[in-house]
Amino acid sequence: MAHVKYVSATRVYAKDAPPAVDALDLDIRDGEFMVLVGPSGSGKTTALRMLAGLEPLDGGRIEIGDKDVTFVPPKDRDIAMVFQNYALYPQKSVADNMGFALKMQHVPRDERDRRVREAARLLDLDDKLLERKPKQLSGGQRQRVAMGRAIVREPKVFLMDEPLSNLDAKLRVQTRSQIAELQRRLGITTVYVTHDQVEAMTMGNRVAVLSGGKLQQCDTPRQLYDNPVNQFVAGFIGSPAMNLQTVPLTGDGAELAGATLPLPAAVRSAAQQAGLRELVLGIRPEHMHLANGAGELAGEVMLVEELGADALLHVRLTQGGASVVARAEGRKPPGPGQRVTFHVQPDDVFAFHPVTGARLAG
Amino acid sequence: MTAVAARAQRAREPRPGRVREMSGKVGWGIVAWVVAIAFFLPVLWMVLTAFKPESAAETWPPKFTFSPTLAEFRLVFSGWGPYVTHSLVATVGSTILVLLLGVPASYALSVHPVGHWRDGLFFFISTKMLPIVAAIGPLYVIALKAHLLDSIWLLIILYTAMNLPLAIWMIRSFMLEVPSELLEAARLDGAGRIREMTGVIMPVISPGLVSTALICVIFAWNELFLALNLTVTNAATMPMFLISSVPQEGLYIAHLSAAATVASVPVILVGWIAQRSLVRGLAMGAIK
Amino acid sequence: MTVLEDLAPPPKVEVPPRGAGRRDAWQRRLPLLPALIYVVVVTQIPFLVTLWYSFQNYFFDVPGGAHWTGLSNYKTVFTSAAFRGALVRSVVMTATAVIVAMILGVAFAVLLDRKFIGQGVVRTLIITPFLVMPAAAALVWAGPMLDPNFGLLNYLLQPFGVHHVAWLSTHALGSVIVVMIWQWTPFMTLIVLAGLQSQPPDTLEAATVDGAGALATFRELTLPHLRPYIELGILLGSIYLVNVFDAVRLMTNGGPGTATTNLPFYLYTQVNNAFDIGGAAATGVVTVILTIIVATFALRMFARVFQFEGAAS
Repeated sequence: MAHVKYVSATRVYAKDAPPAVDALDLDIRDGEFMVLVGPSGSGKTTALRMLAGLEPLDGGRIEIGDKDVTFVPPKDRDIAMVFQNYALYPQKSVADNMGFALKMQHVPRDERDRRVREAARLLDLDDKLLERKPKQLSGGQRQRVAMGRAIVREPKVFLMDEPLSNLDAKLRVQTRSQIAELQRRLGITTVYVTHDQVEAMTMGNRVAVLSGGKLQQCDTPRQLYDNPVNQFVAGFIGSPAMNLQTVPLTGDGAELAGATLPLPAAVRSAAQQAGLRELVLGIRPEHMHLANGAGELAGEVMLVEELGADALLHVRLTQGGASVVARAEGRKPPGPGQRVTFHVQPDDVFAFHPVTGARLAG
Repeated sequence: MTAVAARAQRAREPRPGRVREMSGKVGWGIVAWVVAIAFFLPVLWMVLTAFKPESAAETWPPKFTFSPTLAEFRLVFSGWGPYVTHSLVATVGSTILVLLLGVPASYALSVHPVGHWRDGLFFFISTKMLPIVAAIGPLYVIALKAHLLDSIWLLIILYTAMNLPLAIWMIRSFMLEVPSELLEAARLDGAGRIREMTGVIMPVISPGLVSTALICVIFAWNELFLALNLTVTNAATMPMFLISSVPQEGLYIAHLSAAATVASVPVILVGWIAQRSLVRGLAMGAIK
Repeated sequence: MTVLEDLAPPPKVEVPPRGAGRRDAWQRRLPLLPALIYVVVVTQIPFLVTLWYSFQNYFFDVPGGAHWTGLSNYKTVFTSAAFRGALVRSVVMTATAVIVAMILGVAFAVLLDRKFIGQGVVRTLIITPFLVMPAAAALVWAGPMLDPNFGLLNYLLQPFGVHHVAWLSTHALGSVIVVMIWQWTPFMTLIVLAGLQSQPPDTLEAATVDGAGALATFRELTLPHLRPYIELGILLGSIYLVNVFDAVRLMTNGGPGTATTNLPFYLYTQVNNAFDIGGAAATGVVTVILTIIVATFALRMFARVFQFEGAAS
């Protein structure tokens, strides 16, 4: 059990290409479940592999515990990894798969067997599966064997590379909570990579959002949702995604679809200082409240997506023709073609710099 | 030094691990090159000796520098006429026949299989396992009685039988790779068996057919045993030409090397080109 | 890429259901018939004739043709020391060449599986011995390479205290085996290389993370993965190598004496030198029977190695 530090860690593949991971600074606390999330190409998997020792660093360093492990080979870092495609050893039985690392450490056979069986029990793997070969197992079983192989090692850090992406949707939701619970029980520092922001939000103690090799924001899920530090994070976190529109500034605020949405003084002065004439407004679908004709934003419903408990309304705003998504009660949502109005609380409006994407102080 | 400058300098210097990494790579590279050259040496020596005048070919110590001459090659090219013609006819002829017989047969063992396709496949491979040498005596007698002795047709017939099992296994493995969606789409479009074969299958497997043909060419061109026993002059092939370049007495090493080089070069070139499919052919389609 | 999953994979398209109709069955058979009939005629007829002649006393240089002689040719075969010697030598030559070629093949494949400058060229150089015409290889090794007076090998081995060795006289069997190994190592190398390249890279990474060094990874993961490829190489190599003729005939002509005579060469001498068609036929039949026995085991291993699935039929 140990804390993990990325200090200005950099990885460059081709000489003139932008870095795959650009001066990443990340402090992961002992016992924490840290999720690295981002779209493909964001560098999250590369960052994980750098921690594993499978990718060399071109700059900066990585620490596990208080040790600088930048040049230490993977086997000496005391880490265990769960691969996206499980990477189980095809010719070995499940038991031998799970016990392989212990065998490499010359752990005596009885202790090896004991620890394997213990891990299997923790993961709900039946004893008779222990003698089978990976190809005789289902996808979910293989995923658990891959986890078991990591757990058995009792390492300082768990690394997981999108371990749920090959499971079907239902199994994914089930396994998600099992992994989170397991980590809480074992208390081992975990670094978890995913492209799915729902996974990130539900599993992580803290979430690090990456884009283009750079860390955008590292915070608790709540903070990422309530206080995104830039447009990318705001648009990435939260499902369905935040509505983002470039709008002109007016005297008291910003003008959207003919209505003036008030902005706090701090935002207005920040915009003025930056010499901006327009900015990007962000409003989450759940913050667009149906207002029975009295709301400031008016539009026509183009499409209704019924989710059961909620409904998602795709609305085209009358003035300006911008498309937004709003969340409404599932019971009797407005139908397509219907005219609706929305009310938005001023506190729920985010403002971003139209060029840099940075959040304008609020 | 500022942090920026320090980082810039670190970016220029190779990271410490990298030096060890690179020297490991270079080390293996050197070993690989040494092994490759050592293994290739006899071929190199053969080609080198082909350019020597006879007087420089049987010396002690063996000569590495000498004034090269094309004399031996000229001799080879003046003498090889009938041999190379026979080899070409036998090789090309048998390969064409193999493809004509093999493609439909593979079709009947893969895309639209017969009931006992497994037995069929194993019958073909069993003929490869039985040594042709066993029947050479009676073969000679049969050929004699059928007036096929020393005839290029005999070689074409036998080489076809020799290569057909290999070709069928190979072509079959290519046909199995044709995506079934393509075949189903063709069938929905109303294609019958023949159209399916010419319109869908043949275009898709044509690179595979080329590599199959090249493998057949390699084996037919190099074949010695049957040619030696069943031909004399009217159908003598390149391997026989090689043997004839070893006289009873006199210097012959340079001439032999030239003949060996000329005889081997076509197949070596073919093999270099078909390198990727060489494995598949040799493993009879088992390895892709 | 699915590699080596099934030597005789079941066809993807439907196999005829029972009672599909005679017309359909014949439509399916038709394309197969030309090749089938051809092979049967060209391979089985000579074999039947061989069988017939094996019971005859037939010497080509003796006038009068063939006379029935019952089993006497077979008796000669089984009591002939020459035949037994050829058989033993065939086994020794094939086994030695196959095993050494495979060991070298694994070593070369491991070497070729890395990235280095000129990798493609190195690979091309290593496979060339296989492409050289066997007759040419035999003659070039016999002369320019191994000759006691001007051979390259003696020159290269001089610093090791080797002086003008007449390889083909004193180490005839070894020399022939060396040429067999030289020509067939590339074959083994290519097959093993295909196996190495089909290893999923993430299992190798998992092994690194699990603490396995290079040697342990090779022993625990790579070799088990290579096993079907090695078995395929040994099987196919044996089939090809047991029939080697060119090197024997052109390097040593079976000699000195019969030191390098294997079965194919022995059959050749029976026909060519002794003109003994009957005897050669009997030898041939016995050879074929032995081959069938060995091949049955081999084919069973083929099927096991590739896990026949009767699923589609």
